[in-house]
Amino acid sequence: MPSKISLNKPGSYLLLNGDEAVARGAIEAGVKLAASYPGTPSTEILEAIADVAKKFGIHAEWSINEIVALEVAAGSSMAGLRSIVSMKHVGLNVASDAAMTLAYTGVIGGLVIAVCDDPAMHSSQNEQDTRYFSPHSDLPLFDAGNPQEAKDMIVEAFEMSERLELPVIVRLTTRVAHGKGKVKIGAIKSLSRKAAFDKDPKRWVMVPSNSIKRHRVLKQKLRKAKELVNKSKFNLIEDNKKEIGIVGSGIGYYYARSVVDTSMFSWLKLGLVYPFPLELFKKFSANIKKIFVIEELKPYVENQVKYAHPEVLGKQRLGLNEIGEFSPDILKDVFVRLGLSEKLEIRADLELPSRPPVLCPSCPHRAFFYALNSARQFVNCDPKRCVGCVVCEYACSLVKEKTFNPGKSRIKTIRLNPLSNIAVACRVCEDPACIQACPEGALIQSEEKGVIRVDEAKCNGCGWCIESCEYGALTLHSGSGKIIVCDTCDGEPACIKWCPESALSLKGKNKDKIVTGDIGCYTLGFMPPVEALQSCLCMGAGISQAAGMFHAGVEDKVFAVIGDSTFFHAGIPGLLNIAYNQANVCVVILDNRVVAMTGHQPTPGSGINALGEKTKMISIKDITRAVGIEKVEVVDPYDLRGTQKVIRDILDYNGPSVIISERPCPLRVEKGKIREISDECNSCGVCVEAFGCPAISINANLAEIDPTLCYGCGVCEQVCPFDVIRSKEQ
Amino acid sequence: MKLDIVFAGVGGQGIVVASDIFCEAALLDGWDVAKAEVHGMAQRGGSIVAHVRIGDNVQAPLIEKGKADMILGFEMLETARTLSMLSKNGTVLVNTKYISPSTYFDTSKKSLTSEKLFMMLQENAKRLFTVDGQSIAVKLGNLRVVNTVLLGAFSTLLEDSIQIESLKKAISDRLKDKHVAVNLKAFQFGREQVVLS
Repeated sequence: MPSKISLNKPGSYLLLNGDEAVARGAIEAGVKLAASYPGTPSTEILEAIADVAKKFGIHAEWSINEIVALEVAAGSSMAGLRSIVSMKHVGLNVASDAAMTLAYTGVIGGLVIAVCDDPAMHSSQNEQDTRYFSPHSDLPLFDAGNPQEAKDMIVEAFEMSERLELPVIVRLTTRVAHGKGKVKIGAIKSLSRKAAFDKDPKRWVMVPSNSIKRHRVLKQKLRKAKELVNKSKFNLIEDNKKEIGIVGSGIGYYYARSVVDTSMFSWLKLGLVYPFPLELFKKFSANIKKIFVIEELKPYVENQVKYAHPEVLGKQRLGLNEIGEFSPDILKDVFVRLGLSEKLEIRADLELPSRPPVLCPSCPHRAFFYALNSARQFVNCDPKRCVGCVVCEYACSLVKEKTFNPGKSRIKTIRLNPLSNIAVACRVCEDPACIQACPEGALIQSEEKGVIRVDEAKCNGCGWCIESCEYGALTLHSGSGKIIVCDTCDGEPACIKWCPESALSLKGKNKDKIVTGDIGCYTLGFMPPVEALQSCLCMGAGISQAAGMFHAGVEDKVFAVIGDSTFFHAGIPGLLNIAYNQANVCVVILDNRVVAMTGHQPTPGSGINALGEKTKMISIKDITRAVGIEKVEVVDPYDLRGTQKVIRDILDYNGPSVIISERPCPLRVEKGKIREISDECNSCGVCVEAFGCPAISINANLAEIDPTLCYGCGVCEQVCPFDVIRSKEQ
Repeated sequence: MKLDIVFAGVGGQGIVVASDIFCEAALLDGWDVAKAEVHGMAQRGGSIVAHVRIGDNVQAPLIEKGKADMILGFEMLETARTLSMLSKNGTVLVNTKYISPSTYFDTSKKSLTSEKLFMMLQENAKRLFTVDGQSIAVKLGNLRVVNTVLLGAFSTLLEDSIQIESLKKAISDRLKDKHVAVNLKAFQFGREQVVLS
């Protein structure tokens, strides 16, 4: 199917979301270069342009991050071509170093920065208002309220950018970017410019003596821009000769119009909001008694007009919030409160369990987190099932001592028949009392697994440790008279396999480590039941936060998890820094070969570019080595045991290290063999309560796998302590 | 004319594609159209709601609470969650499928069943239609066509405003060629097997 945004029939209508409309606007304006880094809700802008890039001779690329994208676009614009760069609001923070000084140098070919804000944070870490970037940088800004405006503003922004020789920002919000609407399309401009760079050091070399002059030039350009904003077709008065005038920007303005009888008010729609069209506002408000200002997030428009009219009702007096997004309901309430609209009876929301966002079935991140959480494990017994049969003791003695002799078992059954029975094995405590109690220094806790090791040469069988253990988990060997203690048989204890009542299972612990994170699908690993990571600040932050914690002197081992795309975006400097400053931190790079959260864009590690063509495949392992990390391990997270082994090894390692966890996002590859659970399931709950795969649920005391949700990774098979999960017969 | 429709379900059920197809069909029939959807943080398994508004002149894509004319539910819990959107005389068409959220350890909410959800829907909707999208999809040998089954069922309630041929054309335009035939079949099955409860 050819992309609809390339349609060359001016005047016809297309159904486009705001992002696609931006792409269409750029094509109509004759753009020749587009660069971006994926980020919800801006991602589809570059995707839509990339779809038609060949047809229109456009270079479209996923850049490594937003500042690189802006610099690439700046270069192309310096060479005279029209260029667009797109990003989400927080991406502009990354790009702002370039943007602030690009305002001084200005541009030659039109340069438009499309920025998508996310009020209510549907998929972001903050809800900053990009309109305030303009007073900060002096870059003109359009604020789009629907896809049609987004398309038209982009075309106009290119014209303005070239007229003023200044980058121009077009701002969308989530509901505009991901909302669809009917868009009337215009003609596609074909510009045949030859790229050439005019070497004018006074303009392009921003050293103080040149910058001061360019700062003056910027102010001159702004004066020129002020004349344009008061005449712009995007700043529109609808004068209904009423006492109340409503001024708005963005989609909030249209919500207001959708909940009232529009003929009751006069209206001023502001689309080009920086520089602010104050003259136009004065003209509009001259014969109006009260002004209502309707705008999401910060009171930007309100602050511009509050001294220009005696009766301006803004955030506070209308009872509108600076936090979150607007909805028709919120605005309806405002008009009802003021007696300007009738209240509608509505049903109350029902009380229902929530459905929070979760890691998908088969997600390799879940598998890795499970391995991380359970790298230190112990044998746990369910007293409700245990019948005190001592089969576990026989199993243990057979495996460890080649004899059926409960006196040589590392697990002990305590029978209080018929009240209760329980089997006890070492709980791998954090700060074991047994070690403190031993007068001979014969007990040591292994760093990797946490299991207690006995130095038989030192142990004299005094039994102080037995006294000190509140679980009663240590025993004297009936032959040697020395202490014996459970070592979990390297993750596959025989006692669990042998237990006829399925009372034993391996329980994990995650209290001996700190895990920092950042932005990506894996951030969802903070949610129960996975609960594997404890921080998310911004792209790449986890690595350096982990370093800071180490240097501050925290006792626990610090891990930092980061996705492959985020690593390329912002992780490399942090990793180099931990190598240089020798932080005992393990950086886990969760490499699924794709930017999954934003909808599967290629990464430098995928060997595919934005157009879907083959390109140089960048090796993460080579980068980690090159920045000076000596300990680098690669694991397949679907192999739980192998992954746990490496994690235990790293827990023991002292120094900067990296684990690369390699497994493609399951949504991008063929499904594996669907799994099913046999009716031998005893509903122990590990697959649901500890592993947390959303394809598994427990109904009528049996765990069940929904075949439409299962992707067939088979990790649950390794998680199940009772081997009742297997491949489904096809 | 004004028609406000809420599409509700779970990520991965094809709600984005189904609501796109519906909007394209409305555009073919000459209506003004606006749609809002949020791509949440999760690729699969989270709540997904799309607001679709068609009419002579649509100002903004979000529907006011209590003003939705219809809900097209892909999953029963998510459909029940959006009931406060529905107008007093609103119609609900629901796929008889309940996907339990992964909140098993929240024992207070454990007792929710599809029967209970069905009762909630029946109490709140003026008219409630059901279709067993899952079974039809199994019969067609492709679990991913549930969304076109539902569109087919839904189309029987809309014959005044959206033409069947427009919906079929929108399906053919939106989907890859190799998937069109099975989806058109699913659409037809949906039309035939919708039940008024």
